[in-house]
Amino acid sequence: MDGIHDLGGKQGYGPVEVDADETPFHHDWEAREWGLAQSARTPGITIDWWRHCRELIAPEDYLGRPYFDSWAQTDFATYIEAGWMTVEDIGRPDAVGVGAEDDPPPALTLQQVLQEDHSHACRFDAEIDAEPLFVVGQQVITASHGHAGHTRLPQYARGRRGTIQACNGAHVFPDLSARGIEIHQYCYSVMFTADELWAEASGSRDKVFLDLWESYLSDDNE
Amino acid sequence: MSSKFDAGKVAEIHQHLHSHLPSESALRVKALETLLVDRGLVNPQTIDAWVEAYTDQIGPKRGARVVARAWMDAEYKKRLLQDAPAAIDELGYLGKATAHLKVVENTDQVHNLVVCTLCSCYPFSILGVAPAWYKAAAYRSRAVRDPRGVLAEFGVTIDDDIEVRVWDSTAELRYLVLPQCPPGAEDLSEDALTELVSRNSMIGTDRNLVKS
Repeated sequence: MDGIHDLGGKQGYGPVEVDADETPFHHDWEAREWGLAQSARTPGITIDWWRHCRELIAPEDYLGRPYFDSWAQTDFATYIEAGWMTVEDIGRPDAVGVGAEDDPPPALTLQQVLQEDHSHACRFDAEIDAEPLFVVGQQVITASHGHAGHTRLPQYARGRRGTIQACNGAHVFPDLSARGIEIHQYCYSVMFTADELWAEASGSRDKVFLDLWESYLSDDNE
Repeated sequence: MSSKFDAGKVAEIHQHLHSHLPSESALRVKALETLLVDRGLVNPQTIDAWVEAYTDQIGPKRGARVVARAWMDAEYKKRLLQDAPAAIDELGYLGKATAHLKVVENTDQVHNLVVCTLCSCYPFSILGVAPAWYKAAAYRSRAVRDPRGVLAEFGVTIDDDIEVRVWDSTAELRYLVLPQCPPGAEDLSEDALTELVSRNSMIGTDRNLVKS
């Protein structure tokens, strides 16, 4: 999706607001949203669907609202789409919801959530029968066009020549995972020279690395 | 009740939410928490525990410990560069978003910088909650295109003969920069070394650490 979220290389966003403060949360509501997102996620969804739902936020809200606020909006959208609540329920705590009669989930202690964080080290890779199409050192070219759905090939790296740096194994393919379909496909670290990506980087020694799935790539010599 | 993965419907929902949600962030999050508690999906005490975990227990001190150990122990560093998830798990730090961690090493010739241009991917279980600038449009848009300019805004000047490698976290792989040990610090204890490692040096927006 050529959405507002695809920010790599876009211009006009000004200097970085460097903030030496390392406090994780600056407002109580940020901490609540963080904790909410760790405590529950809409049953049955995938991380890629959640990301896509965040990408679908209207551009003025995506850019104009604080970061954790966009998490809350995304959570609302995923729960509403899946039927757990309606837009009209918001701000009406008396609205009787589906699932309201079920026992609430147990209260976890600090030790239990630390355990859970450890067990949340989810892997996204799997063994597949196919052999990788590309080998380390091979020159590849990325797809020229995106599509309307979720993808992890950013606009700035489309139709560009790069070099396979590593094969990371077969990972869940996000473009389909965002539609609830789980297939695994080889995912490669691909190196691009800065001057392949940016006109003003002519002569630069700098490099940009992206992790890209096999179907985003073709052999550059074909 | 399950998602139909209907993007068109979600775009419509966002439009409704735009006009329907309370005006302040705090009220929006409160409304969400209230509904999720009501629906039996969340226990508020569990939220408290997660906040406590990522305020007091899980944060950049973990990453700093990993870096300090790699500086002290060449064998550990080797394992860290080869199989970072296993190496951080030796310290019990494997967790959220680090199952596919990769460690990239700074040298005299190379400086590494990490970004997520498409969202805000970050190795939570070793660095905690990402800083605000990491999630902001200015950093996400410019880190891949003008890394040296971005670094200058952090007070970091990179000599022309050093190669800058920018890692855009487009997959579930996450990156931790292994900064260089400050000159003269080689003989310090692991605890003392840990104090020298800044959070930003592990993202790549800091480079020349100093022995304090």
